[in-house]
Amino acid sequence: MDAAGTAVTDYARREHHDFLGASRQALGDPALQLALVRLTDTLMAGNRRGYAALADSSDLRDHAKRIKEHTLAHLDRYLEQLEASVLRLGGKVHWTADAEEARRTVVGIARAAGCTRAVKSKSMTSEEVHLNPALEAAGVHVVETDFGEFIIQLAGERPSHLVAPAVHHSRESIARILSDRVGTQLPDDPAVLAATGRRLLREEFSRADLGITGANFAVAETGTVVLVTNEGNGRLTTTCPRVHVALVGMEKVIPRLADLPVFLKLLARGATGQTLSVYTTILTGPRRPGEADGPQEFHLVFLDNGRSRVLATPFRESLQCIRCGACLNACPVYRRIGGHAYGGVYSGPIGSILTPLYDSVEANPHLPHASSLCGACQAACPVKINIPHMLIGLRELQHHRQPNRWEALAYRLWAAVLARPRLYRLALAGARALVRPLARGGWLRSLPGPAGGWTRDRDFPAPAARPFRDRWKELEES
Amino acid sequence: MNPREAFLDRVRRAVSEGNRAGDSCPLPERRGVGYQGAGPDAVRKFCDELAAAGGKPHVAADREATCRTVLDLVRGRGGRKAVLSRCPLIDRLDLAGRLRAAGIDLTVTDGPPTGLARELFFAADVGISGVYRLVAETGSVVLVTGPQQPRSVSLLPPLHIALAEPSQILPDLFDLFDLFSPVPTADKAVPPSCLTVITGPSKTGDIELRLVTGVHGPGEIHVVLCAAPLAG
Repeated sequence: MDAAGTAVTDYARREHHDFLGASRQALGDPALQLALVRLTDTLMAGNRRGYAALADSSDLRDHAKRIKEHTLAHLDRYLEQLEASVLRLGGKVHWTADAEEARRTVVGIARAAGCTRAVKSKSMTSEEVHLNPALEAAGVHVVETDFGEFIIQLAGERPSHLVAPAVHHSRESIARILSDRVGTQLPDDPAVLAATGRRLLREEFSRADLGITGANFAVAETGTVVLVTNEGNGRLTTTCPRVHVALVGMEKVIPRLADLPVFLKLLARGATGQTLSVYTTILTGPRRPGEADGPQEFHLVFLDNGRSRVLATPFRESLQCIRCGACLNACPVYRRIGGHAYGGVYSGPIGSILTPLYDSVEANPHLPHASSLCGACQAACPVKINIPHMLIGLRELQHHRQPNRWEALAYRLWAAVLARPRLYRLALAGARALVRPLARGGWLRSLPGPAGGWTRDRDFPAPAARPFRDRWKELEES
Repeated sequence: MNPREAFLDRVRRAVSEGNRAGDSCPLPERRGVGYQGAGPDAVRKFCDELAAAGGKPHVAADREATCRTVLDLVRGRGGRKAVLSRCPLIDRLDLAGRLRAAGIDLTVTDGPPTGLARELFFAADVGISGVYRLVAETGSVVLVTGPQQPRSVSLLPPLHIALAEPSQILPDLFDLFDLFSPVPTADKAVPPSCLTVITGPSKTGDIELRLVTGVHGPGEIHVVLCAAPLAG
């Protein structure tokens, strides 16, 4: 696979991140371990149940994938069609190349419309471009309205899961965060905490003049933007304020309204096992004459931010992602270390692809290796993205860009030995003689030197006293 | 080059570069794939799925039973203020008259929209609406926004009661999107400014995955199916 270019967009993090250190810290945090097991077990059970309940889910997932493949192969055409549809409805369309342009555009819309109070429905694109600080700097008060996002906004953090952004918080810590906000001590009862969130956010909704969302899907032929939420904050964000801005990654386009149910049937099943999320909000243009609520102004802001660069490469398949979080829940690595350890806006297996591609391959050396390549991510993915294949592709890129001489030498030696049967037997006998004295009860507790990495977190099985090759000879003779 | 042209130019070049791998493909036809349907009994399937999503189905045998069910729900929750959006079924039932007679402070959303203060919706205890369709496969209530059907009725009050007839049930989600097209035709409409598919009460699992309802939208959704044909 060839390079995905070298440009570094400011998708990037301000500081580069210590993946191994953060993982070790997560592994040593019992509360986080409990939360991750609870979340990922529940959601994965839902994922399996969801697909099983759909008679031909595998065929439907293939179909969804083909729609995405087709759309990406003709993306220029569909973007223009979507633009024309939105304009016809009286909406406005903006094209932004990177995070900086996206921030400037949204701030510009807020200024032009005289908006000072924004409510946001959960949007990964806005996380990606760090929209909130830019709006605050421009004097626009911004509030996240997804309950989990609201909590992490109050805590000054970033989401640690695509659909459960505050999974790393216990109810005690949520109670603490909300108590600080309201100035009284709240009990750690989920119902009380959620009711407090509702009350606080209702005030925000009643006063907001700007609603900011992403889009789960955008339909080219009708100019429709689709939001999927369980709480209803997506509806409130597009009902109360007079201006609606949707910041949409350009890969979210689908051709026709008839293609939408294909994805809707898979999205919630893949994410949580629900047949549908509670609210599917299908918005076609601004409020129409005579209507009592909904935004008077609608702005669609297309975001590139590195996507076109990836579109040209064999990593194009990563643009099929519908952000359901299923690969996170399925991944034996995510299930242990959680989202923050990945250091990017996106985490889990898909984050291990997106962060190196959009930030930089060199600055994220560990992410393509944060996988056992077991394939559970692909099996869980509603559009069957071949994540393991792309992780291997990234490892290959790393190798071409920064060849590791020692590793290359080791593999050359290994190849030379493998090609010579007698040498191979001799090498095995030597290794056996070296490590067998270290074995206790059939296991090696710790190997010396650079081999120590194998035994740091687990025991290594000791080699057998007599190799199978010798026993086989005997077995054949007897 | 302006931002639009620059953007599209990048996409065009990326598309043709990426398509050289040869995976450009036609838009696939779905044929029957993924169609679940409602099975032999659409009413039953709808009620089961709605209940599974945490909503409350009610099947009322006749006009009187339908009104009584609604009144019981409103009074049972201590509802005093209600907002109601009109639809043919609600008009035929004279539900507005019945609610007013029962002493409910009722706002009907059929006047000029300027007369409807937003505070009214925020203060209401109950929102009552008709439905555009129901989807049996998923237990969903589908609403379209229009001058007499504001988005807020089914959103801001903590209790939402939707009235429907069995004939409004669609078997499958695919059937819903077959009703719309980009341009109006004899049997298809253009999509409304807001089409809402509601599947159960507002939920969050953000606190240790414990299910809490009503965090933003209504904590309760009831669908009252008026089973009797309403001749006259």
